[in-house]
Amino acid sequence: MASIVKGQSGFAMTPHKVSICILLQVYAPSGQLSVPFPFDSISQHNRLALFLIALTKVHFLRYLNSLYHDDYPAALENLNRYFDYSAGMEGSDFVPPLSCINNGRYEIALLTLGMTHFHFGHPKLALKVLTEAVRVCQMHSDDTCLAYTLTAICNLLSEVGISNITGIMGASDSHVSTSLSVQQQLFVLLRRSLKRADSLKLKRLVASSHLALAKFDLKHVQRPLLSFGPKASVQLRTCPTNVCKKIRLSSQLIHQYDNESSVVTVDGALSTSWLKNQRKPTTTLVFPPESGPESNCDAFYSWLQSSSVPGSVLQLVGSSYLVSATSWELYGSASLAQSNALLFANCYADSSSSADLALAYGKLIQHLAVYKGYKEAFVALKIAEAKFLSVSKSGILPVKLQLLHERALHRGHLKLAQQICDELGVLASSVTGVDMEIKTEASLRQARTLLAANQFSEAASVAHSLFCKCYKFNMHVENATVLLLIAEIHKRSGNGVLGIPYALASLSFCESFNLYLLRGAATLTLAELWLLLGPRHAKRALNLIHSAFPIILGQGGLELQSRAHIAEAKCYLSDSSISVSEDPDIVLDSLRQACEGLEALEYHEMAAEAYYLMAIVLDKAGQMEQREEAAARFKQHITALENPIKPEDPLVNLL
Amino acid sequence: METDEEDVSRVVPFQLQFDKPVASQIKIAEWNPEKDLLAMVTEDSKILLHRFNWQRLWTISPGRCITSLCWRPDGKAIAIGLQDGTISLHDVENGKLLRSMKSHTVAVVCLNWEDDAGEEVSDGNFVPKYEDRTSRFFPPAPRAPRMPGLVPGETGFMDESENLSQELSNSSHQRFNILCSADKDGIISFSIFGIFPIGKIDIHDFSVCCPLANQQVDCKLLNASICKVVLSKDLCHLTVLCSGELQVPEHNLHGFHCLTLDTSIFYKRRNELHQVALQASNIEDLAEVFRASLSVMSKQWSDAMHTFHDKFDSLSSLIHDHGLDSTPQEEFLSLIGGARTSPAVHQFLVNSLGEVGLKRISKLVCGAGKELEVIVLEHLQPAAEMIGFRIGELRGLSKWRSRYQGIGLDETLISNATEKASMLLIQVQRFMRVLSSSVQQYLYDQDPVRRLLESTEVDNSIEVDLETMERVQELAHFGGFTDFDYLRRTLAKEFQQMESCFKEAFQMPFITISKKILCQNLLPLFPIESISKSASCTVPTSISYYKEEMHSKQHSFVDYISFILPDEPSSQLANCIVVMRCLMNNDLEAVLLCLPDGYHCIDLSLYKECQLVLLLNGPSSENVEKACMTIVQADDLPFASIPSSEASSPWKLHELQDSIVYLQMDSLKVRGIPHSVIAPLAVSASRGVACVFATRKRALVYILDEDEDEISDAD
Repeated sequence: MASIVKGQSGFAMTPHKVSICILLQVYAPSGQLSVPFPFDSISQHNRLALFLIALTKVHFLRYLNSLYHDDYPAALENLNRYFDYSAGMEGSDFVPPLSCINNGRYEIALLTLGMTHFHFGHPKLALKVLTEAVRVCQMHSDDTCLAYTLTAICNLLSEVGISNITGIMGASDSHVSTSLSVQQQLFVLLRRSLKRADSLKLKRLVASSHLALAKFDLKHVQRPLLSFGPKASVQLRTCPTNVCKKIRLSSQLIHQYDNESSVVTVDGALSTSWLKNQRKPTTTLVFPPESGPESNCDAFYSWLQSSSVPGSVLQLVGSSYLVSATSWELYGSASLAQSNALLFANCYADSSSSADLALAYGKLIQHLAVYKGYKEAFVALKIAEAKFLSVSKSGILPVKLQLLHERALHRGHLKLAQQICDELGVLASSVTGVDMEIKTEASLRQARTLLAANQFSEAASVAHSLFCKCYKFNMHVENATVLLLIAEIHKRSGNGVLGIPYALASLSFCESFNLYLLRGAATLTLAELWLLLGPRHAKRALNLIHSAFPIILGQGGLELQSRAHIAEAKCYLSDSSISVSEDPDIVLDSLRQACEGLEALEYHEMAAEAYYLMAIVLDKAGQMEQREEAAARFKQHITALENPIKPEDPLVNLL
Repeated sequence: METDEEDVSRVVPFQLQFDKPVASQIKIAEWNPEKDLLAMVTEDSKILLHRFNWQRLWTISPGRCITSLCWRPDGKAIAIGLQDGTISLHDVENGKLLRSMKSHTVAVVCLNWEDDAGEEVSDGNFVPKYEDRTSRFFPPAPRAPRMPGLVPGETGFMDESENLSQELSNSSHQRFNILCSADKDGIISFSIFGIFPIGKIDIHDFSVCCPLANQQVDCKLLNASICKVVLSKDLCHLTVLCSGELQVPEHNLHGFHCLTLDTSIFYKRRNELHQVALQASNIEDLAEVFRASLSVMSKQWSDAMHTFHDKFDSLSSLIHDHGLDSTPQEEFLSLIGGARTSPAVHQFLVNSLGEVGLKRISKLVCGAGKELEVIVLEHLQPAAEMIGFRIGELRGLSKWRSRYQGIGLDETLISNATEKASMLLIQVQRFMRVLSSSVQQYLYDQDPVRRLLESTEVDNSIEVDLETMERVQELAHFGGFTDFDYLRRTLAKEFQQMESCFKEAFQMPFITISKKILCQNLLPLFPIESISKSASCTVPTSISYYKEEMHSKQHSFVDYISFILPDEPSSQLANCIVVMRCLMNNDLEAVLLCLPDGYHCIDLSLYKECQLVLLLNGPSSENVEKACMTIVQADDLPFASIPSSEASSPWKLHELQDSIVYLQMDSLKVRGIPHSVIAPLAVSASRGVACVFATRKRALVYILDEDEDEISDAD
């Protein structure tokens, strides 16, 4: 505690503030030793605002109340009071003194208010307030605040799906033509806020803008803003290299930060930067025991942790690796996705927010479930749940529900699966606003549950409405998934001809968004659909599968791999030019690999299929003993599928 | 010789393009397969590159004796083999060294680089196009940072053409090709793109079933020395001409042999090999960048720290001398902090350094730190990330067991390498953080940056605190690394470990492919008795593969082997040239061409459409023209098939003594050359030109193909 107080020089201590500090310490995530006090990034600002609101509810309510009654002075007073607690405003250092204090605070208050609205799930309201903040900032030519406000708007637009903001944004911002879509407006805003932050040399803001742009590029095709004339033929693809470049740029903040405060640049204050860093941990270093190099080793890590790079910088740099992990999940490089998440958990665990950390752990758990099977994933999940007990259970909870749902589907516990789906749906629209991502996820899973229950028309209608929603909110990446799901529905219902166009549509989405893994899955589905049309298409299907094999086997999870292996085996079996009885190994090898994966997933239905095929091949090859074995395993899986054991899972009860 | 003169007056074939002096005698000359460029190696081991109009583009001298040279099939690089067994690749644009590999221990006598021309031979099977995704996801790969203190011009590496040459050595845009190299000791190496070693065989290891005196005998070659290796256009066969002893009971078969090796694995698995080589060679490139960055950083940092310690090492003795009760670290900090210090220390400050000096030193250290940070951000980290991506791609391929196990891509080894690459990413990150902290608060006694850059230290050199260790152990449950010790390793050490992992993983395809290259056939051609072994190596030979239409659709390649039969005192076959061809069904045919008296064959070369270009000295001295060049249509010759068994003599060519064809110079197109000539003869099939070298240090270029006027027009 004392270190926090000592660390923040520059403003007077009051008992009130100390108590806030104590409360902050309570609310702060466990891993985070020193709470970054003057908020210096948007995300911290948000979180801080939330903490403060939690503890100064009265002020906030009063302030909200007055705001709603258009009583601006009163609102401002309340907000200012609330502002006193949060103490620092890094961004407002450059406010020209000639503008009166009230004005300077007003836009910041609006900014805060906007973000509060956003946090409490009123994105439209938030947008309104933030637009007002932009106007006030422009009026007072408060560039710094404007930069922050723009970034806040960008955050809001990118995180919350809003189908139509023309009415709000268009009114205040004459530069943004009202004919542009939300995405285009967001892009323009992002670019502008980056430029502004760059010109104002707000390095953290620059880095976070780069990161936001990377997130944007990840999921959006770069469309020319004016789509007419000879230049209209711009390639409609995402640019992964841009994403990579921007992520690298934002992680270079750690370097730029040094420039800002290094000994050289701060010329006169040579000593100060040295002395500033002589905080608690260095005491062990200043007086190192005289016992030689061994003892120096001990200090290595403690010294590293005391590094003078501020937490906010590290947090931002760390989150760039999380974005990178997400991008690799989408682009389909399992190893890089995992190593980026691991890197984050290894190097940035103590400097990042617990929500980010939970996200990283969630990614790792999902990776385990997909690539190693549920057993290990649930062990890891238990540890994670213990680790993120109070603060951000929400970060782990969706992951847990996803895992449970997936397993229920695989085991054939459809009732349970439906139940979990509903839970996920509830989670999607919590108090903190609608999370579009989880919402789509929930309906996607619902459709899959229905599909597993062979309720094709219901599944199709859910998928269709989901497609409409995704289309409305311009969620193209999700669109590709939904299209693939529809193709799957047609495939399961045995209607290959109807399924093929959906699979092809999904493929073309994947192409233009560089979603290689999903493209592999779509190719596989397409091949399965062709195979459904009859054995004369077996060759074509096999070629399709083989073209997708490097991606599916290398980057795909166990389920996808096993599916591909089974499909390959089916192609061989239905291809009349290949005699299975002569060379059973080409089929058996892939079936064996499929079975390995499916056993780990406890995916009874497909495992039964694989063993069935295996038994047929072995029968043809005349290997009776092994055939019996395969047949026994087939029976085992079929009985497990038909008589699901009552799920006596302690994890389910935890829900 | 009347006819000759008549010929000249009537129509002169093979128009002389020019006749230029050369600085020194040429021992190897090869035309670029794509462009009108001639690469030549002089007796004093310089490489010259000339254009068709004899404009010299560049000259380099590698400093060692050059023993062989060949072009990359796309004509953008030259491979040279050196006396010490090194093969180096040079950029055609400026002669810059792109790569150097020591794949042999003795002189590389022959190089042959073939690309996959077998695409026409499609068997109807759909071959999925493999796309290297890396360029789609990453900006161009980082390059090695420049060494500090080097003037840009000095190394020749820093010019703007660097981009280009990097692209050249990059394998992403090449067709699948294989460079095979043979050394004096009978070892043949194969490498994909000339970069990625994929196989190595010793021709002594092959045991061949040889029909001898009506019985099959297993025999091996002894003391073989390779003369020429040529890979067929479809990469399915390798023809090796060598001299040596064939170990057969009761016979001394010391002579010249022709081996045919089955390299069809290159053809059958060309897609797989291409992909693996593409990723692996790029990974090796990146690892090279990483290593170079590490060494540059290590040098920069140690230089900076050296200066620092030069100035400040006297501080501790000073403190000791004055009996002060503090440590140097403490004093140092107070010194920098500007606090009041003891008179002695103050004296030290004023005398030895001064305020300005102190600032300069801290500026120096900070500057070095900055440079290091730039290197980490622009070279080290992108390289590590791309290595991670590419090895991930390779892991994906290795999981396709039915395709890739056959070429030795091992799943577990690749997975190990993937994990190591991931660890390296974390290590780079940690290094970055240590660096950025230590630039701001560099410590008097400790130097964590140096310690991370050092690899010589013993294991567990870095203490990891309990909390970090716990986290690492916890992460193991989340799919993290089970090797908890990785944080104890330094960055350089980690890199070493990753490299050895890669080496191990890439060794597997190398071993697997090497085992799959088998000997198909061995033909003892003619005995060598009097001539010493070293001389036998210089038998002028030429091997070429010509496409021949076999059936309605299928093409196949017929190899023509031609060589000059050395004059043997015991043999009746004097002044002869042998042309052999191997048909698809492995039937061997040959013909002996006897030159007219007075002519002596210097060199020969197979030209396009089964033509054989002969370079002859002679006829007699009274003529103005001391040498001549002629073309023989090889496929019109009366080939006689060589019986595969029931032979009386083990030497195949002895069978042909009865069917010698006497070459009639009158009926051929002959071009007289006013100088006496020496080997080599360089013939370009694509351009239709031949370059011959006179004993009096002159180079003469003739146009072989009269129809191709546009070549002379172009100049």
